[in-house]
Amino acid sequence: MTAGIQSAVSFPSRRRHVGGRGTRRSRRLHEGRWAALLLSPALAIVICFVFAPIALTIWISFHNWSMLTPITQMPWVGLSNYRTIFDDPVFRSSLLDTLIYVGLVVAVTVPLATLIGMLLYFPRNRLRGFARTVLFATYVIPTVAVAIVWGALYEPSYGPLAEMFKAVGLSAPAFLSSPSTALVSLVAFNIWQMLGYYTVLMVAGLTLIPGELYEVASIDGAGIVRQTFAITLPLLRRTTTFVILIALINAVQVFDPVYLLTQGGPINSTDVISYEIQRTAFEYGLAGQASAMSVSLLVVLAAVAAILIGLMRARSR
Amino acid sequence: MSALGTTSMTDPVAEDRSRTKVPRRRRRPIRLSKVLTSVAIGLVILFPLFPLYWLVISSLKSTHELLQAPPSWFPAHPTISAFKEAFDAVPFAHSFFNSFLYAGTATISVLVTSMMAGYVFSKYHFRGRNVLFWVIVATMFMPPIVTLVPLYWMISRLGLSDSYLGVVLPWLANAFGVFLMRQFIGDLPDELIDAARIDGASELRILWRVVVPLMRPAIVTLGVFSFVYYWNNFLWPLTVLETSSKYPVVLALYQLLSFNMSAQYENVVLAGALVASVPTIIVFLLSQRVFVQGIARVGVKG
Repeated sequence: MTAGIQSAVSFPSRRRHVGGRGTRRSRRLHEGRWAALLLSPALAIVICFVFAPIALTIWISFHNWSMLTPITQMPWVGLSNYRTIFDDPVFRSSLLDTLIYVGLVVAVTVPLATLIGMLLYFPRNRLRGFARTVLFATYVIPTVAVAIVWGALYEPSYGPLAEMFKAVGLSAPAFLSSPSTALVSLVAFNIWQMLGYYTVLMVAGLTLIPGELYEVASIDGAGIVRQTFAITLPLLRRTTTFVILIALINAVQVFDPVYLLTQGGPINSTDVISYEIQRTAFEYGLAGQASAMSVSLLVVLAAVAAILIGLMRARSR
Repeated sequence: MSALGTTSMTDPVAEDRSRTKVPRRRRRPIRLSKVLTSVAIGLVILFPLFPLYWLVISSLKSTHELLQAPPSWFPAHPTISAFKEAFDAVPFAHSFFNSFLYAGTATISVLVTSMMAGYVFSKYHFRGRNVLFWVIVATMFMPPIVTLVPLYWMISRLGLSDSYLGVVLPWLANAFGVFLMRQFIGDLPDELIDAARIDGASELRILWRVVVPLMRPAIVTLGVFSFVYYWNNFLWPLTVLETSSKYPVVLALYQLLSFNMSAQYENVVLAGALVASVPTIIVFLLSQRVFVQGIARVGVKG
């Protein structure tokens, strides 16, 4: 901020550019204009296409609306949309499906990413750079393509997974076509696609742990297991919490494979919340109820995120 | 692919070679733990590779071979007929053009808007700066489905449904980009920018001549991330578009899948899935060193 004054003192020859705006106040005003100018494009887009729609979603959730009539004429119904959806067994089962799906994804990916992260960080091995690249590569493949690939792998009569089950003498499960296995089968899509991403984040977290700690521990005679539980995992808590948060937010968005392969079935067993919201709004024309679902989802996510971020802050102290 | 093996996020690989070669000449017995590590890493590599391998061989199989049980683990008579059929069944080539247009426009715009906003959030001081920043960043964690209904209504009201602009308009800036750019630009020393200001450079000039050249890793990371994200985005184009000539690749793929639901066209659908993934995979492989490191860096600081 004092640059203008400084320059006037030490670089008199360049005074013509900045020296004129002598006072601190006009300098600040000048900076404020630049700040506004440079911020405005990003801010305008985010306000118009993120904040305004969030506000609209909340507003619509208190109304009856089919999206076909003008939005100004939609009748106010208060909390009735919320009452309707929470009384609806389909919506409640979709909440449960989402909870199971997200829970499974987080419960599998986070420990697995930690383990693979350690495997790719600690031992010196020629393969690790290649492994990291290949693991991460699945992240860039379109989810639509991932759904198609895994649909083929799960093929019950001539697919390779069924074949592997037969090879070890087990009868192959029906994977996506049975209500008891469909949701669990969908979890594999997400794990396959996201594991490399979370592993990279874990490796990044591992690099923050000072190496001397391990040297001291091994001098004291602590083995690999001891070092893992006494040093690695406690010091990795912040990264772990962050990965849990990202994995959770990512898993709750699952839509593409459900829309493409199962349409929520068989018998609503894969009817996760994103799919339920989309179908309620665009197929059933119940935008009010869909918005009530969206708001409920947002509230739950905000609460979970707040708890996780709180934990992250508390632990890092 | 072997060249990729030598590139990694950290440098120890280079060190590694010199370290392992010397003891080997002395014929020290290979330790069991080393073998176990290699086996474990091998298994880790198989997990992402096997489905990709299956995708490639299945798309090269004839319909007849694809349907045989037990399946063949290597195509007996590789053929590219499935690829030809995929391109005949849906306007694939044109959808590539569309996807490049959507993802390309969004990426360039996200880079520009994020760079400018990130510069302000890291190098300017004004009241409410941090509150504003975190309010924007909070939207990063919001699932897009939450705003789908009003967003669709807004775009329709603007008369932009089923149009290129309708797809791209909400994609022109995002919170992740602002977040990433603030992290990276924040690492630049303030003195550098102050020095440029003393030299009388305008803010735009500082951004273009001082900040941008030093931000190459950030630009690659955010550029690749945005390109991949918007190339792969399915829900929004599905909601906005009706005319198939405006479809991006992922919607063309969806079209292919719904045309060919019966098993005998599975190789065609798989061929389409492979083709649709090629651009993002190439972009990733070209940039992976910088990109993976950039993503890791954002994650560590975030």
